[in-house]
Amino acid sequence: MSAATGELRKSCMRECELVARSDGLAAGLGLALLGVDVLAVAPGRWAAVPSRQAPIGAKTRTHRLAEPEGIVFVACPGDRPQATPGLLRTGKLLAAVRLGLVRRLLDLAVEHLAGRTTGGEPLLSKQLLSGDIANVIADVELLRVYARCQHDLAAMAELHRQLGELGWQVTKLFGAIGYLADYPVRALYVAVLVADTWLAGEAAQ
Amino acid sequence: MTGMDARLQAIRNATRVASEDLRARALSIDADPDAMEAHLDSPVFALMREVGTPDAYRESHSASGELLKHGASCLENAVGTVELARGDAAVALACPSPALAGVIVDLLGTEKQQELFYTRLHGGRTWTFFAMTEPRHGSDATAMETRLERDGAGDWLLSGRKLYIGNGARGGIGVVFGRTGPSPLSIRAALIELPAAGWQGKRVDTIGLRGAYLSELSFDKVPVRSDMLLGQHLPATRRGMWGAIKTFNAMRVQVAGAAVGTALAMTEYVAEHHKNATGADLVLARAQAARELVFEAAARTDRDPERSYLSCVAKLGAARVAVQTARWASSALGPAGLLEHPLLEKWIRDSCGFEFMEGTGNIQRLHVSRGYQAGDASV
Repeated sequence: MSAATGELRKSCMRECELVARSDGLAAGLGLALLGVDVLAVAPGRWAAVPSRQAPIGAKTRTHRLAEPEGIVFVACPGDRPQATPGLLRTGKLLAAVRLGLVRRLLDLAVEHLAGRTTGGEPLLSKQLLSGDIANVIADVELLRVYARCQHDLAAMAELHRQLGELGWQVTKLFGAIGYLADYPVRALYVAVLVADTWLAGEAAQ
Repeated sequence: MTGMDARLQAIRNATRVASEDLRARALSIDADPDAMEAHLDSPVFALMREVGTPDAYRESHSASGELLKHGASCLENAVGTVELARGDAAVALACPSPALAGVIVDLLGTEKQQELFYTRLHGGRTWTFFAMTEPRHGSDATAMETRLERDGAGDWLLSGRKLYIGNGARGGIGVVFGRTGPSPLSIRAALIELPAAGWQGKRVDTIGLRGAYLSELSFDKVPVRSDMLLGQHLPATRRGMWGAIKTFNAMRVQVAGAAVGTALAMTEYVAEHHKNATGADLVLARAQAARELVFEAAARTDRDPERSYLSCVAKLGAARVAVQTARWASSALGPAGLLEHPLLEKWIRDSCGFEFMEGTGNIQRLHVSRGYQAGDASV
């Protein structure tokens, strides 16, 4: 992996995805930011980092939903860089983290739905739901390849917009429980906040 | 709005002014939904309560209250809802007012029950609740488990659990649905005044719309006098579910209106803080189209309150537009824009909540499909 050029080995992205899937958002983000000089690379005045990786002495702020996910926001003073190879690299690794998180929550959604019935039939047997699940996993496969192939920040912003939408599709599978702040789906909302601090471009509509 | 007459314009203008007060309270209520004392004397809360109350039980009569009469049409309500949500939907939901419970008390309540309900709200410190949804069944009323059982002395005992009930844990009076037997006609609505033995409520923390104070309620043989069952004076077919269905048809449009209002608020906020935000015109056009659809659905609900097709379409479409707008707004203000614009960040969380109110998107899709097959779709 070369932080200077933004080039990444496929295995780095795969590792980020796997860690996020098995251990959650903060663990995945921690791996994605390993070796990154947060204060130098972050494009905005705040950067999301795992609480345990906040630079010593840096000013931080918390967020009601991010804090229990083990994520804080570090103040990044001064002029901010807007288009560095390091930023592209971080955007790609963060995309892999978000894909892993989607897989983690999709697994949980299927488990959640497996225990529910409607009209005496398992909810999972309903075409509406099985179609939704299929769409999510098909998009995971597509966006994983898309993430590997993109080489500019605008495309990266567009990718993360799609990842936000993908997270929302998974959230909806949970029904109203997916809107509870103390439920694991919270991580998908926090992932939007995290990405917001590490992306420099506006997404296409 | 296309073809908005003078009366609708007056409603829009009055509620637009009121919405500024709601917006000023938005971040405070989001931060601590329990700390409401500083907001309860809001003139807008007084207006919302006045509008939701029949003339006979009103505490005051303001000029705006006369304009927005109780029993206004679904379209008039929708015009007002969009504007209030443009201020802040969660603050509107935090208002102690008749709200959803008032709609069903109007439909199914006797004069005596209405008097009890509305006079309990005087003073502006009593919230109401409308408890239908259950933990394992969502809003699938046919699977409802909450029971109303005879107590042996002519009255009833209420037992069961409800979830996601707005203002439930801080409510003073409201309506709880339960079943007296296995058939759909056995589902009844009971007017409950608190405190009551066997009643427990706690707030559940939500991602957004925190002013709604969604709650979990549990009932362990809560005593219900027989004269507190709503609809006793009506035919059996018009007592429980009929009232709930009519209420949901009307309220679905209002939820759609709140989603559209929130989408408009986000769009305007971004445009104000980033003059050349990419795609702003497109996003605004989408929200305005959704608003038109909501108004059309409201007008159709006024013509035929028992048909749900277009209200489901409007709710489905408006909730989607709110989330799409939120997605756009997330990236429009640059890196860390959400942390630097907490009101926008709150609206983005709020916008997700409309998906789950008055039936999720998948429930609406089923209704829309049935309506289409029944020939309800527009030409």
